[in-house]
Amino acid sequence: MNSMIYKNKKPLLVFLIPAFTIMLIYLYYPFAMNIYNSFSDIKGLGRAATGLNSPWYSNYIELFSDQKMKIAVLNTLKLMLCTIVFQVGIALVLALLIDNIRIGKNFFRIAYFFPIIISATALGLLFNLIFLYDGGMLNNFLELFTRHEVLIDWKDKSRWMFTMFAPIMWQYIGFYFVVIITGLNNISSELYEAAAIDGASGFKCIRYIKLPLLHNVLCTCLILAITGSLKVFDLPWTMMPTGMPLDQSWLTGTYMYHVTFNASNVDYGSTIAIVIVLLGIVIAQIANIVFKEKDYC
Amino acid sequence: MKMKKLIALSLTITLGVFTLAGCGGKTSTDNTGDKSAETKGGASITVVSSYGADDGNRGNFEEAVKAYEANTGNTVKESASNANEEWKASVHADFEVGAEPDVLFFFNGVDSNPLIEANAVVSIEEIRAEYPDYASNMKEDMMGASPVDGKNYSVPVNGFWEAMFCNKTVLEKSGVTIPTDGYTWDQFLADCEKISAAGYTPIAVSFHEVPHYWFEYCVLNNGGLANHLNVPAALDDEAGKAWVNGLSDMKELYDKGYLPDNALSAGDAETFQLMAEDKAAFAVDGSWKCGWFAENADPANFVVTTPPTKELRKSTELIGGISMGYYITRKAWDDESKRDACVEFVKQMTSDEVVSKFSSSGNVTALKNGAIPDPNANELIKTVTEMNGKVTNVIGAVQDTISGEQKTDLFGNVKIVCDGSMTVEEAVTSMLGK
Repeated sequence: MNSMIYKNKKPLLVFLIPAFTIMLIYLYYPFAMNIYNSFSDIKGLGRAATGLNSPWYSNYIELFSDQKMKIAVLNTLKLMLCTIVFQVGIALVLALLIDNIRIGKNFFRIAYFFPIIISATALGLLFNLIFLYDGGMLNNFLELFTRHEVLIDWKDKSRWMFTMFAPIMWQYIGFYFVVIITGLNNISSELYEAAAIDGASGFKCIRYIKLPLLHNVLCTCLILAITGSLKVFDLPWTMMPTGMPLDQSWLTGTYMYHVTFNASNVDYGSTIAIVIVLLGIVIAQIANIVFKEKDYC
Repeated sequence: MKMKKLIALSLTITLGVFTLAGCGGKTSTDNTGDKSAETKGGASITVVSSYGADDGNRGNFEEAVKAYEANTGNTVKESASNANEEWKASVHADFEVGAEPDVLFFFNGVDSNPLIEANAVVSIEEIRAEYPDYASNMKEDMMGASPVDGKNYSVPVNGFWEAMFCNKTVLEKSGVTIPTDGYTWDQFLADCEKISAAGYTPIAVSFHEVPHYWFEYCVLNNGGLANHLNVPAALDDEAGKAWVNGLSDMKELYDKGYLPDNALSAGDAETFQLMAEDKAAFAVDGSWKCGWFAENADPANFVVTTPPTKELRKSTELIGGISMGYYITRKAWDDESKRDACVEFVKQMTSDEVVSKFSSSGNVTALKNGAIPDPNANELIKTVTEMNGKVTNVIGAVQDTISGEQKTDLFGNVKIVCDGSMTVEEAVTSMLGK
């Protein structure tokens, strides 16, 4: 009976159609419209296009002279780099440390994973209170050590990057930590026993057993981290709205939102959205080539 | 085999139905959770307003809606949000796709132009042809005529004023007297110097988020009433000069250190909190802030007065006006089963009693008989009433006459100007290019 189902492909198609329809309506059609909108003249949100721009590619010309867009792309690339180094890097270190302890493994797993389940907006508000200029937790904490009033503006021109990036890093470390620790659990204990008989130390076990066998897991984490950093929006928007401070903190996502919804420049917002998609495709392809998974079979 | 095919087909149809269900033209704006609306017997109308959760009049709005429902037996499905650009866009989008509400509480300036041009809302003149006493308690010339054809379409509730809140404690400790009529810009700068020397922040403001209150008064001070609503065509025309000089005054306040240290990198909530904590002396804001003082501070510790003035503006001239009102949509008007309910709703929501309640913080109203005074008004509101009694002219905000893109560009560049990375002239030129 089963073989009959697989020979006849029609039932499979029937099940594929609803999912494809959803994708068509809610993804491909809006994307095609977005491309069209980027060439159109749209006076405001919720308004229909009044025709094509003159020249029709004018938004793309503006893109190259837009300083804020340049800042947004650079910041997004910086965030991507930080994501690779700090999110995946710290998650790897934590996973390796916890893999070596016997008591409290589950506690640390839950503790590090916890930030993932909190909404990014709530985290943004929480970190706003931590980094508050007057009476914020961090400044109050520093007062304990310095014994005089500390008024550090954590969102000023010289510190905004730390203030915005640190919570983003902190939020997702737990996710990669859990992925890596699952990868570590899949390594056969026989390899460790053999290594112990050969006199391999803990560090050598990491260098010659754990890291090589984690290669594919780490590649997956890195690709997820890179593509994920292109989509970061809610936490930066809650903490550093409208490029705070002084148009320094724009990311591609936050800038697109601002242009579309605050400035009501819908057609230019559509152009930025296309850049985000292109950037995502190119970077994801590069990441796939650089972090190609090894076939151990 | 037949059964499996049948199950597969049913699943596909079900999924398809659920997928397309969201594409329906009917909107569901009900956030009250009342699903019994259709079964009560009376008419059910949809209302969209800006009386969102943060609005000081949200409680009054809910109370008035409940009273309407009790009086008429009709049901209101209402959706509310704060009156920001996103909300305006969603209202326009609803009209574009034919999912507009029956009654809309919306802006009556340029923001309403697409609604008037599309004949999507009904004029008061047309409504009065069938309901002669509609909005008869309002002054015609204060209802907020449409910029498209000069006709009245919306019935206003209350207006707004923008003025200067003063912290009495900070002023007293700094040795500064509370500003009164005729308070000049030079006196203001001298007072700011004293306040700063006493260790307080003279002005609570976030130039990152809300530079527009100071912008309006600085432009009015430098251009006068006659020029205030003119948008510059060039830097050297009258309006252009007023804008350049106004922005220069704002930069002067920043350069002299009269603003909070983080005025360019903090939000409005953070900087305004300085007023409640007796750390700042002055703040220019709107009538809606009176409720904030009542909830977050001792209102008796604050006074509302007119902002400092220069030669071209009398100190009794204020920024203010009536910018919103209730519209009945064409779709609801053409629906015989809803017309009466919508008209009655607007009448009740704009009655003298309801409007007076909404205007308890001394707001401007269009009522022919004036608002009924609130016997329980706090000390702060009493100072508002005193200030309003001396006002000789009220003029709208010039920011309401420029496009959203121009507004975002101009106000976004104020902080850059203060930081010194852009000149005042470049900021105005950039806005003109949008």
